[in-house]
Amino acid sequence: MNHLVNITKKELRELLTPGTIASILIVVIMFSALGTAMSGESEKESAPKEIGIVYTGDFSETLITDSATSTSYTLQTVLEAAYKSVYGVDNPADHIHVMTAAYGDSKAISDECAANGYSVALVIPAELKTNLSGNIRTTVNMYYTYSHGGIFGSVSSLTGTVFMNNINTIISKVLIDNSTGNEDKTAFSMSPLSAGTDYTTINGQICEGVTPYQIFSSLMGQSMIIPIIVMIIIVMVGSVVISSMGSEKENKTLETLLTMPIKRTTVVSGKLLAAAIMGLVYGVCYLAGMMMYSNGLTSGLSGTSVDLSKYGLVMDTLDWVILMVVLFLAIFCALGICMILGAFTKNYKMAQTMTLPISGLAIIPMFIFMFTSWENLPAIGQAVVFAIPFSHPMMAMDNLMFGDMMLVAEGIAYLAILDIVMILITVKIYNSDILITGLEQSKFFGRLSRMFKRKEEENEYR
Amino acid sequence: MTDALVLNDLRKSYGEREAVKGISFSIKEGEIFGLIGPNGAGKTTTLRMICTLLTPTSGTITVCGHDNIAEAAEVRKIISYLPEDAGAYKDLTGRQYLKFMAGFFASGQEFEDMVSKAIELSKLGERIDSKVSTYSKGMARRLLIARAVMASPKLAVMDEITSGLDVMSAYEIREFVRELAREGVTILISSHNMYEVESLCDRVAMINHGSLVLTGTPAELREEYCANNLEEVFIKAVRGAGQ
Repeated sequence: MNHLVNITKKELRELLTPGTIASILIVVIMFSALGTAMSGESEKESAPKEIGIVYTGDFSETLITDSATSTSYTLQTVLEAAYKSVYGVDNPADHIHVMTAAYGDSKAISDECAANGYSVALVIPAELKTNLSGNIRTTVNMYYTYSHGGIFGSVSSLTGTVFMNNINTIISKVLIDNSTGNEDKTAFSMSPLSAGTDYTTINGQICEGVTPYQIFSSLMGQSMIIPIIVMIIIVMVGSVVISSMGSEKENKTLETLLTMPIKRTTVVSGKLLAAAIMGLVYGVCYLAGMMMYSNGLTSGLSGTSVDLSKYGLVMDTLDWVILMVVLFLAIFCALGICMILGAFTKNYKMAQTMTLPISGLAIIPMFIFMFTSWENLPAIGQAVVFAIPFSHPMMAMDNLMFGDMMLVAEGIAYLAILDIVMILITVKIYNSDILITGLEQSKFFGRLSRMFKRKEEENEYR
Repeated sequence: MTDALVLNDLRKSYGEREAVKGISFSIKEGEIFGLIGPNGAGKTTTLRMICTLLTPTSGTITVCGHDNIAEAAEVRKIISYLPEDAGAYKDLTGRQYLKFMAGFFASGQEFEDMVSKAIELSKLGERIDSKVSTYSKGMARRLLIARAVMASPKLAVMDEITSGLDVMSAYEIREFVRELAREGVTILISSHNMYEVESLCDRVAMINHGSLVLTGTPAELREEYCANNLEEVFIKAVRGAGQ
């Protein structure tokens, strides 16, 4: 039997146990279920909200009359018109509730909001009518309930702000109508400029009817998720490999393996290959799970997402293959680093602490790419990010979609070279005594260790 | 009888510390040879050099005519090494472990025969299909010894073969080693158990502070040191070396 296949099979048997396969499947199912739950949550958050009103005046009393159209407005009709323009519902009155709390009694207002589930309460003074006729600005206070954090925690304040703006617009229109006496002139005065078609240049092509914000909103899921997935995979696979090395040393199975009639290169390659395959399996499963989660999260939010395929921002089969190649090379590189670090471990416990450098290298680009892109980095930042091998799979999807193939190709070349270097260093270590004796027995580290011991002794003596 | 193993002025330094200081001895084919010495004497370093795990600083090791450094690949084909307190892969069953190891030596029918032989030698019965993590220390040791000899090595190097085993398991393993030697396998063992070394070994070498202190048959050593057993020889030799 081919020795490489033999080692790879054994490693895979150890790495992909029923327990690990079950945990991968559980994660995928969990993310998918979370996505479905988040979809329901986002739909709930974008549904019409219940709004409370505290007003000591008369709701049905005419507030203001439009002389141009001879239409009279009560506070009730103003509020309903404003609500309708926010949510487009036919029954705005069902969502606007007159509150019993007294004007100025914050505690009572807050309690009533919480008890009835109002997202926002508008507290309008009774002087509204006289203020409008006297050209005096009226102050309206708003009460919100911040019941939870997270992305949906700010929805209530958005509802209040938009609702308030719409009330202002309706009243402003009547006031201008009354001063101009001409409805068309009012419409023009309120909006002398009209927003036309949005044009955005994507990959050198001018796209109609889309804004950068809409593209960002649609890409947000993957922009945030890809770096997290890559980080999780790198840390997880790295930890598995270092732990495996620690365990091999502790159980002395490594000593036995190294006395077998096989090349050390085969031992290293077999271990790396098996762990890289496992990493890829983890990667694909996690990617699928997180994508389901992301789709669930954004599916309930209408208005911001656009169909990216219309603008050529879609990954075709070749792009996915390239992304997987970049991911595989990055995982391989991480494993190379872990094999080198693992060579210096003495046991399983020590191996656990050795994952810190690899975690740091994976977390830095993750945070960078969650908040910015390669193009926005200064030259020194680009150099640092490029040098970190795990940056490349994190930015590959964006680069593939936006056509920056040169950066992807450079990344692949860099990773391939780095992988070869890692294998060579690993084989060199596997061929040396360090693997068995550890660093303390080497000349350099031996001297260093003795130097520190001498210093410690001197300090103790003093 | 030809030499299965020849050590000539073998030295090993770790930085400025010399762990093995010019050891020379040879082992005949089919011999059971015991390497004894106090903790830190250099026994394990010597065994690791013989098994190509460590590179000697100077000196030569010849295994069945093959130079240990220049022909390391050839040496690995004819030796087997059982480290002290060695374990097997805990997530594999005994059978899977033996198949994995046999895969480095043979293929086809020869592979199947090798695995069958090892399963028989291990005397694990139905437990051969249980995970190694469920084995007792004695069972794991039997599995490892079966692995060590399944490829019919010319030289088997075993470090503390009965360490931590109960009386019955230790006895069975010693009998097993005798049987192997009768079949022509040369065996080099290292042990702190002087009774074990005296009863098993044809010849013994003792190292202390990295140097060879004595070598000979147990009877010769008892006579030379006017001792009743090898334990007394050991103590006298260590004290003598310390003076």
